[in-house]
Amino acid sequence: MAEDRFLIIVPAYNESGNIARTVREIQSLLMPLTVLVVDDGSGDQTATEAEQAGAAVVSLPFNIGIGGAVQTGFQYAMEQGFSLAVQIDGDGQHDVSFLKKLIDPIVKNEADMTIGSRFLPPFIGYRSSLIRRVGIHFFAHLISFLTDYKVTDPTSGFRAFNKRMMNIFAREYPHDFPEPEAIMVARRYGARVLEVPVQMRKREAGHSSIRYLATLYYMIKVTFAILFNMVKAKGNM
Amino acid sequence: MGIKILTGFLSVAIFVLVLELARRGKLTFKYAIGWIAISLLGIIFIIFDQLLAAVSAWFGFTLPSNFIFFTLFCFFMFLSLFLTIFLCQQNNRNDTMAQEIGLLKLEIARLKKQIQNKFSAR
Repeated sequence: MAEDRFLIIVPAYNESGNIARTVREIQSLLMPLTVLVVDDGSGDQTATEAEQAGAAVVSLPFNIGIGGAVQTGFQYAMEQGFSLAVQIDGDGQHDVSFLKKLIDPIVKNEADMTIGSRFLPPFIGYRSSLIRRVGIHFFAHLISFLTDYKVTDPTSGFRAFNKRMMNIFAREYPHDFPEPEAIMVARRYGARVLEVPVQMRKREAGHSSIRYLATLYYMIKVTFAILFNMVKAKGNM
Repeated sequence: MGIKILTGFLSVAIFVLVLELARRGKLTFKYAIGWIAISLLGIIFIIFDQLLAAVSAWFGFTLPSNFIFFTLFCFFMFLSLFLTIFLCQQNNRNDTMAQEIGLLKLEIARLKKQIQNKFSAR
């Protein structure tokens, strides 16, 4: 039943006030899609609001981190037999009008995973604060240097995946600060990763999960995780 | 002599406490065995203190007390490393369980709805 439909995975943690709009925005696209909101143990009305907006909702009993939430989406996709999945953040940051462009290379079988990048021409939209941009560029250069991928926006959580990629990530996906590390996991499995230019918006309500005090820890943890993936055994799947 | 009585008392106390905790099921044998072994070793060394002196001399320690400090330091270092490993393992299992519970809840809600629809259609 799900073969020709695709799954939109929306990880959400305390996104009450944003989530319903995000869900409706996705559903307004004229595509055969199913919206799955993974509520990562929110303390607010995120799950109820998402359900009322018409999404399928998985409620995790406690907070396990955005990576664990997204991975739950992959597990759901594999269980239900979806052949394509898109990850979109629940905070309304990602412009869903770029969804078609994002899945195009997957549909044409030119890539196993696509990443929506706000640093690729021709779009000049919201590109995050200066301090965050420095971090993003650092990881972009690190990953591009270590691998043969050309990555400009490794922290972007606007991504599309084919079945092979979902199968891998359903079993192996980093749980906290997952985005840059997931590219390295994909590389270990020899996956084709492609960036697609997109525009992003400023967050509408709430705050990003990465705050200033945690930035240093984030930088160190992710750098280690990236390097660590270089010495991990190559995967087969 | 006082120090001997003190350490002997401590070793016996740990030994008895661990056995009692294991008996009450608060410690599984897997985790109790290490403590039992260590406290037994302590008791043996207190009774046969020439043995302690001989062993520490064999390792090249001038003072048996240094040997004890060093051994304890290593023991606790490895213990905390193993506890960290154990903690990570439990953490991963918890997360996996949370994911499965979440997916199952959705599945159950869906099945409930299906059943309700079936009955209301009749």
